[in-house]
Amino acid sequence: MRVGIDVGGTHTDAVVLDGQDVITSTKVLTSQNIKDGVVNALDEILTASGIAHNEIDAVMIGTTQFTNAVIQRRDLAPTAIIRVALPSGELVPPMIDWPDDIAAELGRHVYMIHGGRTYDGFPIAPLSDDEIDKVIDDIRAKGIRLVAISAVFSPSDPTQEEYVAARVRARFPEARVTPSHSIGRMGLLERENAALLNASLLPLAEKVVNSFAAALQERRIECPFYISQNDGTLMSAEFAAEFPALTFASGPTNSLRGASLLTQLNDAVVVDIGGTTSDIGVLQDGFPRQSNIAIEVGGVRTNFRMPDIQAIGLGGGSLVRNDGATIGPQSVGYRLVTDGMVFGGDTLTATDVAVAAGYADIGDKRKVAALDASMVETAIAKIHDIIDNGIDQMKSSREPVPVILVGGGAVLVSRSLGSASEIRRPEHSGVANAIGAANAQVGSEAERIVSYRRIPRETVLNEMTAELTSGLVQAGADPDTVRIADIEETAISYMADESTRIRVKLVGDLSIAKRRNS
Amino acid sequence: MPVTITHADIADLCCGSVFLATGGGGDPYVSQILVEQALKKHGAVDLVPLADVPDDAFVVAIGEVGAPTVSLEQLPIGTECLDAVDRFEAWVGKKITHIVSFEVGGANSVIPLIAAAAKKIPLIDGDGMGRALPEAQMMTFAIEGVRPTPAVAVDYAGGATYFDTADTLLYERQIRNIAMAMGGMVFTAEHPMSAEEARRAIVPGTISFALEVGRTLTRHYGNAKHVEAPLRALFDRSDYGILKHLYTGKIVDINRKIVGGFDVGEATIESVGGNAPAMKLSIKNEFLVATVDGRVVASVPDLITMVDHETSSPINSERIHYGQRVTVFGIGCPPHYRSERALKVVAPRAFGFDFDFVPIEKL
Repeated sequence: MRVGIDVGGTHTDAVVLDGQDVITSTKVLTSQNIKDGVVNALDEILTASGIAHNEIDAVMIGTTQFTNAVIQRRDLAPTAIIRVALPSGELVPPMIDWPDDIAAELGRHVYMIHGGRTYDGFPIAPLSDDEIDKVIDDIRAKGIRLVAISAVFSPSDPTQEEYVAARVRARFPEARVTPSHSIGRMGLLERENAALLNASLLPLAEKVVNSFAAALQERRIECPFYISQNDGTLMSAEFAAEFPALTFASGPTNSLRGASLLTQLNDAVVVDIGGTTSDIGVLQDGFPRQSNIAIEVGGVRTNFRMPDIQAIGLGGGSLVRNDGATIGPQSVGYRLVTDGMVFGGDTLTATDVAVAAGYADIGDKRKVAALDASMVETAIAKIHDIIDNGIDQMKSSREPVPVILVGGGAVLVSRSLGSASEIRRPEHSGVANAIGAANAQVGSEAERIVSYRRIPRETVLNEMTAELTSGLVQAGADPDTVRIADIEETAISYMADESTRIRVKLVGDLSIAKRRNS
Repeated sequence: MPVTITHADIADLCCGSVFLATGGGGDPYVSQILVEQALKKHGAVDLVPLADVPDDAFVVAIGEVGAPTVSLEQLPIGTECLDAVDRFEAWVGKKITHIVSFEVGGANSVIPLIAAAAKKIPLIDGDGMGRALPEAQMMTFAIEGVRPTPAVAVDYAGGATYFDTADTLLYERQIRNIAMAMGGMVFTAEHPMSAEEARRAIVPGTISFALEVGRTLTRHYGNAKHVEAPLRALFDRSDYGILKHLYTGKIVDINRKIVGGFDVGEATIESVGGNAPAMKLSIKNEFLVATVDGRVVASVPDLITMVDHETSSPINSERIHYGQRVTVFGIGCPPHYRSERALKVVAPRAFGFDFDFVPIEKL
């Protein structure tokens, strides 16, 4: 038995899964202290399902607490950044492009020291212990305990970041350190931003993870618990307390993973139709397709792998105008339940035309009985057109693909879609996030810039796979289930010697999940 | 009359430069930050029309050579191009009176502004390509017989290499290898020119034109269908002469590998919902040839530019991915590239294709 919990800003959802079957689910309010909301949710599902605390094998938790902290500029602690790169990057210091409000929360405690390596490992400048120690002493004197460290090409060679981190820890034992190579990919500015955000979230992470642990302990649930991360895989509670920034995109990721579990589809387009927008994402091999562009979190550029989500301006509250020819993007939003015609209001919305056409049974359908039939037909056709186009832009092949509809606005789609080979509307889609969290795997990825002329491709792949596999097994994966999920190779243009950027991702089932299945 | 370029122009200049870069050039994000800083600190830079360059001018080309992907990790010091100018002047023993960008593409349109601002040297409104191209011998400077050296390359560690060779192909080979050895990217001061050489070899008006393209894309931000008319009006009355809509569709395949230090590959675009045959784009860093159903619809040295269909943001070839909805435009090349001599080094045959160049207006 697995329990999935989604701790959102407003609601805490929980589900109990037996294998792939949803036994029960609940939705309660998130509490100020996090813990009470989780305890309430646990009580609801334990009572409803009748299972005992010791029948639970694993608890998986997804949370938007850390994303919300960054977006709302709260619970971010003062943090210093040490960049090991001089003389390079001198005029492009850390935090140069941060919005002032969030930079002020962390304080601009920016330090740049000599060091770093070129793409092929040559030192840019020697490290100086004196220079490092002076910086550490200054940070300490300011009373800052959180330190992010970045170094040029640290994803290829992390030794300099590790050296500086070790020196910080030795000289300033109360400090907590996030080296950038541990959290981000190639792209110094974006990676260093990620390390900074992560370090500043460490005190909150400790509090949140401890709240989860306390809630489970209070209900005598002693099995391991995991936190879901951006790419739909899991991390241990200890790891999450160290890397809270890795949860930034876990919300939409879990929603997509949940849709996959509920339908047993591994390759599909998922359309989450809300009140104002529809979020369209793509499942590839059971995981969300990732975005290629730099992702901003609260106005700060990062290069986290995040699901490629396209939001289109169509939802249940979208305004219907122009005799049905124009739907949205304006919406009555949460006021649908007062302003929409079927709820007694006088604003014509997408939900109203769906009810008028007889495709949905919401509110009072008599209120829309007088609507002009051809207008309704035009509007219904337009709604399908917009969704169809959105799916078509996102889908990964020319052929029609399976489409999974989730969210409260799913009733808007009542006809077939040219882009869809089939349309699924799974039960329990309201708690898809918690289901996604409960269904996660463990995963790990690495990236290098290599020259295949110097080292054969196969050797590079074998090395990377071996390193990742041992990391995954340490993280709790069953070695028999570990497989390569993705290999991405990018040529570095304009550069001779056939340099290639290669990224490898491995995933595996948690040992616990496999025992249940076998 | 010279106009000035201020920090407020840089975002549009970068956007327009990526449009003219025909898929090459790389992401100008870091360059944009550096140049905006430099212009805020030192003030605006005079942009001098080529026709106004005085007879006693001493013009030097500035730019970045190497791998843009590397520069996203190993950031520049920020003063390299200024350092290159200083070292060049000290070595040659002559003051530079005018700076020119060697290519109006990606970061290289704006990088020279750092030196121009700090040294109060005016920037010539023009460049050595009118677009982006992968190699030194393809610059109009080389085609018009300008000696590539004396040249100085400055690296991220503040070191410098001096070049003195008359042969452009040798220079290309040397600079490429130095860039590799010095971390993948160097900043150069090269192709010194007299006023007479500058007037002959520089493609005029391209910096102000890139700025106008950027402004047009910003002002009409949105679907490519709506941006096409204002863009066409802009290109029709420029030296490029023509902008043609070539294709709108979805990327259904992107296949890239490295050959000889360059991205070489092919992208396939299919029309959405229609039955029109697919477009294929050949890539060597930049987009070289566009074919539909085996028929060439545009080829180098004419420009082939891809934009995101929904936002009209120009797309770098490195950022093409499956499923993107794109619009492809074909644009006439500047007149400099239409001569017999130029076509020898920039026409399809120079890139190994087995067909002659046909100007886009005849396709």
